[in-house]
Amino acid sequence: MMWLARALLGLGIWATGFSLVYALHGTGCARGWPEVALAGGVDQHAAALWAGWLATLAAGLILLLRMPRVSAEAGLRHWLPRAGALMGVGATLFTLLPVALATSC
Amino acid sequence: MLGGAAVLTLLVLVLLAMAFGPPRKVAARRWTHGLGLGLSLPVLGVMLAAGLWVGERVLPRDDGALKIEVHAVQWYWEFTAPGSDGPVMTRDRLILPAGEPVDLVITSEDVIHSFWVPQLGGKMDAIPGRTNRLRLQADAPGVLVGQCAEFCGLGHAVMRFEVEVVDPDDWEDALRATADNGEAEDD
Amino acid sequence: MTDSTAQGLTGTREDAQDEPLTIAANPPQRALGLHRELTKAWANDSGWWGQVTAVNHTTLGLRFMGTALVFFLIGGVLSMLIRAQLATHDGAFLDTELYNQIFTMHGSIMMFLFAIPMLEGLSIYLLPKLLGTRDMAFPRLTALGYWCYLFGGLIMLTALLFGVAPRDGWFMYTPLSSAAHSPGINADVWLLGVTFVEISALAAAVEITVTILRQRAPGMKLTEMPLFAWYILGTSVMMLVGFPPLILASVLLEIERAFGWPFFDVARGGDPLLWQHLFWLFGHPEVYIIFLPAAGVLSTLIPVLCRTQIVGYGAIVASILALVFLSFGLWVHHMFTVGIPHMALAFFSAASLAVAVPTVVQVFAWIGTMWQGRPELKLPMYYILGFFLTFVMGGLTGVMLAVVPFNWQAHDTAFVTAHLHYVLIGGFVFPMLAAAAWWMPQITGRERVRGLGEAAFWVILIGFHGTFFIMHLTGLLGMPRRIDVYTENPEWVWLNLTSSIFGFVMTIGFGLFVLDMALQAFMGQKQRRDPWRAPTLDWAMPLPAPAYTFASIPAPRHLDKEARDVTLPLARGEGLLPGAPRRRREFLVTSLAGARPDHVAILPGNTALPLAVSATIGAFVLLMLAGLYPLTLLPLAGVAALVWLWGRGMVRPVDEAPIPVAPGWQLPEQGLRRRTLGWSGSVCLLVANGTLFASLVFGVGFLAVVAPGWPGPEVQAAGRAALPGVVLAALMPLSGALAVRWAEAGQRRGSAGLVAAGLGLLANAVALGALAWLAAGHMDDPTQHARDALRGVLAGYVALHAFIAAGLGGFALDQTRRGEITPAHGGVLPTWRLWQDYAAVTAPIAAVLAVGLGMST
Repeated sequence: MMWLARALLGLGIWATGFSLVYALHGTGCARGWPEVALAGGVDQHAAALWAGWLATLAAGLILLLRMPRVSAEAGLRHWLPRAGALMGVGATLFTLLPVALATSC
Repeated sequence: MLGGAAVLTLLVLVLLAMAFGPPRKVAARRWTHGLGLGLSLPVLGVMLAAGLWVGERVLPRDDGALKIEVHAVQWYWEFTAPGSDGPVMTRDRLILPAGEPVDLVITSEDVIHSFWVPQLGGKMDAIPGRTNRLRLQADAPGVLVGQCAEFCGLGHAVMRFEVEVVDPDDWEDALRATADNGEAEDD
Repeated sequence: MTDSTAQGLTGTREDAQDEPLTIAANPPQRALGLHRELTKAWANDSGWWGQVTAVNHTTLGLRFMGTALVFFLIGGVLSMLIRAQLATHDGAFLDTELYNQIFTMHGSIMMFLFAIPMLEGLSIYLLPKLLGTRDMAFPRLTALGYWCYLFGGLIMLTALLFGVAPRDGWFMYTPLSSAAHSPGINADVWLLGVTFVEISALAAAVEITVTILRQRAPGMKLTEMPLFAWYILGTSVMMLVGFPPLILASVLLEIERAFGWPFFDVARGGDPLLWQHLFWLFGHPEVYIIFLPAAGVLSTLIPVLCRTQIVGYGAIVASILALVFLSFGLWVHHMFTVGIPHMALAFFSAASLAVAVPTVVQVFAWIGTMWQGRPELKLPMYYILGFFLTFVMGGLTGVMLAVVPFNWQAHDTAFVTAHLHYVLIGGFVFPMLAAAAWWMPQITGRERVRGLGEAAFWVILIGFHGTFFIMHLTGLLGMPRRIDVYTENPEWVWLNLTSSIFGFVMTIGFGLFVLDMALQAFMGQKQRRDPWRAPTLDWAMPLPAPAYTFASIPAPRHLDKEARDVTLPLARGEGLLPGAPRRRREFLVTSLAGARPDHVAILPGNTALPLAVSATIGAFVLLMLAGLYPLTLLPLAGVAALVWLWGRGMVRPVDEAPIPVAPGWQLPEQGLRRRTLGWSGSVCLLVANGTLFASLVFGVGFLAVVAPGWPGPEVQAAGRAALPGVVLAALMPLSGALAVRWAEAGQRRGSAGLVAAGLGLLANAVALGALAWLAAGHMDDPTQHARDALRGVLAGYVALHAFIAAGLGGFALDQTRRGEITPAHGGVLPTWRLWQDYAAVTAPIAAVLAVGLGMST
């Protein structure tokens, strides 16, 4: 059972990070974070979103690095957790890309 | 986009047709990873980038563009444009200057409606308690048709309006003429 | 049989799962004798009453599917009325009011009364047979689900007959569906009827999850189980998490309509967008809930029809996991035009594109499988090819709609109508038609009549594409959805007329399909066993399938063989737990991942209790519809009493002697185990419950942060004076949790836990009393502002769980008094502990939220 939980971990990190960044985005727009300037010309909204994105990415990468490399022949029980971690990192990269590319509010 | 879709559909159909035949040795990864990931990821990446780029370009900005208020009511539209001596309201008829970006400021009186002029692209919901903005630009003079796109009850199908696109110099005159007509129709 | 063997057998250590599981064969017996013995224990009661009391999965699975088919035909007739109306530009066929009711009911029926029940029915019918067990985990729950589905569906249909059906679209956007803009009971019919039906969805989700995780034949590891089971496991988990937001939204809107508590009314601090978020938080996963079982059918059929193995089992399992997660991250793509900032749209656009990846992986795995084998063009393969053509196009238009600027143009037009029918008919109906052709021989035990099925396929395929392909163009030309006339756009007539004509062609095709099924059922030749030469266990039985499915449960050595090679040994009782020597319904419960035998489950028999419970819920629904709100307390009390009876029905003297399963193998019965199926079921239900609570927390946060009209009026009643009540309500469930632990410690020592159970009951009662005290004068009028309405709902949520925990405490007290709780058998205690812990965690969170809401002014 533990391996199944580990297989879900990567995508779980994505789900948590995605919800977190979306919540930060909505809260920031409602509370006027883009108007709050922090050091270095970054506003509070962008800083929060980048922090959320990078933290999620970091969590996913740490998980991925801790997964032993195995081939598909090693059996699903060994292969799936690593695949799950990879999918989590991929999904985090792709779905939160707009943090870097889109107008915030 | 439609052409790309047609090509991809054809690709799948050809692969399916080729499947009918003697058994072959198949490398699983070539199908699941090679075609499954290799084909989908680049296509989707390009689509995301293109969608973001176009989406960013059509966002309303604070660049002093003409602002017209759009108020949706079951089942008609009120447009309020800034005239040189005070706002001018027209009903079910929107007057736009050709070739200029216009920001529509959209609100609703009762239920959710949606402002849509198919030929101008884009649509934006009118939601009670909220103010939405939509940037449009009509390129050439003419008369277009708009309609409510969000189901809003019994009068949904007939909640239509006309968009009169005029030369920017004639815009205010057209606005006044329509406002008068609007009142006359109301009586 | 030595004790150490028993230990090894029942040990559920996960590191044990790689050790081979060898179980000796039982001696063969006379198959007919076993059949008679098992039929006596498992068959439905005879006659008409037997249909009322039936709890068997084969009976109920077929009934689910049959009822869903009837609703499909009704929904189809409604779609023909829509097409008739739209055939001309000023269609005078229906008036607008009726037209609105009809398209609302078409969508609602197809989603809630056809697609979901159909996949539930297929899973219920098939899973026990596929996994090598004898029934679903909770047969009475299966029956309850069916009756709730039937009654809820009938209430909605009756409303349609009387012209008071829902008319605000199947998505029920408020404020159009609010009391102000939709007076009358139309909207209530939807909210109450659909929620009634969703009880069956939750029931099915719970029992499907438990059945797949804990009832697989010994040795059928999770990593090797049939792909169909993986797909259905994904589906059922999604249902556990996906339906609660819809149920919460429906309950909130009904409370707003009935009692005036504002959640969506913008003038009083609500927000109509909260409805859209909650609705689509359910609504988009719903699409994948519908697609996954269909994909499971494809993954089952394609390899057998190509005489090969599936290509990329692991990649497909990974794709299922990805779909389960990603599909919860795209609900906002239904809301691209509500005025959400571009970055938020872009997140959901990206997620909507990303979800295509696992789908593409599966499509290519299927095509690769066809390359690897030699595809045989039998009837199910026709429908599979129809699926590929249709679904690929639907998927591609879906990818287009995920792109924000395109969506802004195409949203709410006929283009979307076309897209969703390509996805749902391509991705669900075609695979289900393939499934029907595949499993009809098993259901009826007869062969089909040659030729008719193929004809039906071609007529459906041509009718479908003729109807919906040009609808893409109709939408791009500017025709919005849900209009009944287009007087000023006569140029759309030829498009719509074409769609209408082909729509009738498609209907004829479905008529042929139903005719084909009827002919097969009543006139077909007798079917020989295993017509498809399938490897899966569902064919390792006589046709039609007997009530008990397997005379003996498949052992590990039966799992890697073709179905035809194990049918006879299993029928002769050479597998595990042969026959029904104890004259009761029994099957094996195995460990989660490794499927190692753990204990023997003993099931309740036929009973009318499920019908009674759902009829009582139905009375509640009808009283709500009639506006007789005080009277609804009666059926609610009735439900509580019946649930108590339900629980008593599970109590039987615990048999402490081990049960022989195979030579040298014995297992304890469920009463001696803590982690029973019922315990697992409670865990699943609490997962769903937790999602509901999380949705409520989301609603609180959303309204407090985003809704216009905040902060609300000054807080009046709920000041410092209310604090004692809040603290008691928040902390008493925690005391209950301590009491349960005390009771359990006493149970293990063998001392009667009367005091502990009594204290637990008392703690929950005090929490209820504190909430009543708060409600009686220390809370602000919930109708004045969303803040106060939310506080009311939070208090209600805590009260409900204190009530449930009190009930379980009372049950434990009663069991202790009767001496039913022994050192070996904990009775209701493990279940009580689960629910009490849940209450103990949620009550303080709810209290903090309620207090926080008061400080937001």
